[in-house]
Amino acid sequence: MEEKMLVKKTKLGDKDALVQLIMNQKNDYYRLAYVYLKNNEDALDAMEDMILILYENIYTLKKNSAFYSWSKTILINCCKRILREQKRTVPLEAVKELSYEGDFEEKNNEMLLEKYLSELDERHQEVIKLRYLLDLEYKTIAEILKVPLGTIRSRIYYGISRLQEKFGGDDLEQD
Amino acid sequence: MNRIEKMLKNKKRDIDIIEAPDALEERLRSALGDKEMTKIRRNITGKIIAACLVLVLMGYHFDTLAFYGNKLMGYNDVMNGTLKELNERGKGQVIDKSYTFKNGLSITLDGIMIDETQLLAFYTIKAPKGNVDESLPTVTLRGFLGEHMPQSGYGKINDTKTMMNNIHSFEPPGVLEKTLHMNFRFFQNGRVEEGEITFTVDRQKAMGHTLKANIHKSIKVEQGTIDIDSILASPTRTVIKGSIQNILELARDEINNERIRPNTLELKLIANDKEIQPQSGGMSTNMKGITFHHEYDALPENLKSLQLKLTRFSADHDVNKEIELTKGMKEQRINVHGQDLTIDKVYEMNGHTYITITTEEGTVLTKVYLLADDKRLELNKTSEDQYEKRKDGQILHRRTLEFKGVGKDYKMDIHRMTYVKDYNITIELPIQ
Repeated sequence: MEEKMLVKKTKLGDKDALVQLIMNQKNDYYRLAYVYLKNNEDALDAMEDMILILYENIYTLKKNSAFYSWSKTILINCCKRILREQKRTVPLEAVKELSYEGDFEEKNNEMLLEKYLSELDERHQEVIKLRYLLDLEYKTIAEILKVPLGTIRSRIYYGISRLQEKFGGDDLEQD
Repeated sequence: MNRIEKMLKNKKRDIDIIEAPDALEERLRSALGDKEMTKIRRNITGKIIAACLVLVLMGYHFDTLAFYGNKLMGYNDVMNGTLKELNERGKGQVIDKSYTFKNGLSITLDGIMIDETQLLAFYTIKAPKGNVDESLPTVTLRGFLGEHMPQSGYGKINDTKTMMNNIHSFEPPGVLEKTLHMNFRFFQNGRVEEGEITFTVDRQKAMGHTLKANIHKSIKVEQGTIDIDSILASPTRTVIKGSIQNILELARDEINNERIRPNTLELKLIANDKEIQPQSGGMSTNMKGITFHHEYDALPENLKSLQLKLTRFSADHDVNKEIELTKGMKEQRINVHGQDLTIDKVYEMNGHTYITITTEEGTVLTKVYLLADDKRLELNKTSEDQYEKRKDGQILHRRTLEFKGVGKDYKMDIHRMTYVKDYNITIELPIQ
């Protein structure tokens, strides 16, 4: 297993091995950070923070095969730290030049979805993003967030129901 | 699959196309730099000493932050002038209740201040390990009518990072909500730790309002009207509420393809010929149309005159304009919706088409495509941003738009555009 080999090498202080581990799943890591931080610069910052923490703490990782879930937990914590720092500086939402596919109605819904999602409790927001935007399985989410599987299920159920309520709840039955 | 899941699925498509930038590998390598791998020896004695120190330090800090009579102590650096004065006059309600988390962190709700516009919570976080900045909690307030969402908040960390004094603003509780629960939540190593402080509101300490009036005045702007609906001033702050379009206007413009979505609205509140310090503001679009609220500092006591001045308004507009482009063209100035737009350069590279444009700082093409031989190319990214300040104070923004793909004949298809306009319109507000 390449992964285990690389982890072993990293534990011996091989930086290239660590970079290789991350680069092997670079899009997964980047998207994960992006979903939390919503912009390229912060996502890169979070990954830099993460790799330093990984390097300094890799010796605490007992199961080499658990590297990916362990490192993603750390990445999420790095993202959350950046978010907390931003909260204190009160960011103004920057308008970017974007190209939006689809009609205005869809754009409106998209904006509302973004808004309603951000109004949810952080715990519910993050599981919905991890499940639906990154397509992670319940089990993986539970591992990364270090929260029991049942809790993840109920948080997703609760989060989706709240979104439905906010959108008017008129389609609660059609499943 | 229900509607929400479908919408999320649509959003997922946006995420799926995101790829880690090429710079990533380099950034990761340079972050590691010449970092040495260090193993930390576990030192149990050290931990015990640290734990003892925690207790000692906490006891020590407790005294310095204690209350003196009716006043909150320790918030001088955090409070603004208005709050300081109210505090001096003993207008706050002392709570002084603490919660200590397993990791040694503690939170003390020192006191609250309530009036008709908000509930202000004053609380102190103490982290004896000197890492108070690493773990700031999310704070919510719950009464029997439900959750009161935090509106804004700020705080100050001391030099040793062992303590942070915070002021957090919430919607005011209902008259019948006597008992409130303040909930603090930390994320640590992927786990959540929660703590709660329960307290009783002393209604006799609540301050009510100093000025409350419906205004119903409108300000005409280029694209419509801004309605100023009401003012509510309390001893701690002043809130102005208004709307930009009601739902009927929204629908009408939607049909006519002349939609606007406001971005910034700068309103200055002037009392007795002096500008009142703005504090915060927000705007939202929902079934009621587009509404906004602006918060300012409290009004002066002997109010003689009160005005509201519109200084700046920017919005996103439907434009629907096509501009013909030719490869290699240079510095062509065009006018779109009264805004100057200069096409600096059009060129191809690695299968992409690049267009460098310059506009005023506040002008952004919010929905733009490139038509290449009747193929529609999507905007991939915007890069190489440069800002130039001119002598007349105007700031120009030059950047390069990258479109995926190439073609022979080009047209830039601008669907929507945001731009800023300065105003100088003043309206009188009632003072009684």
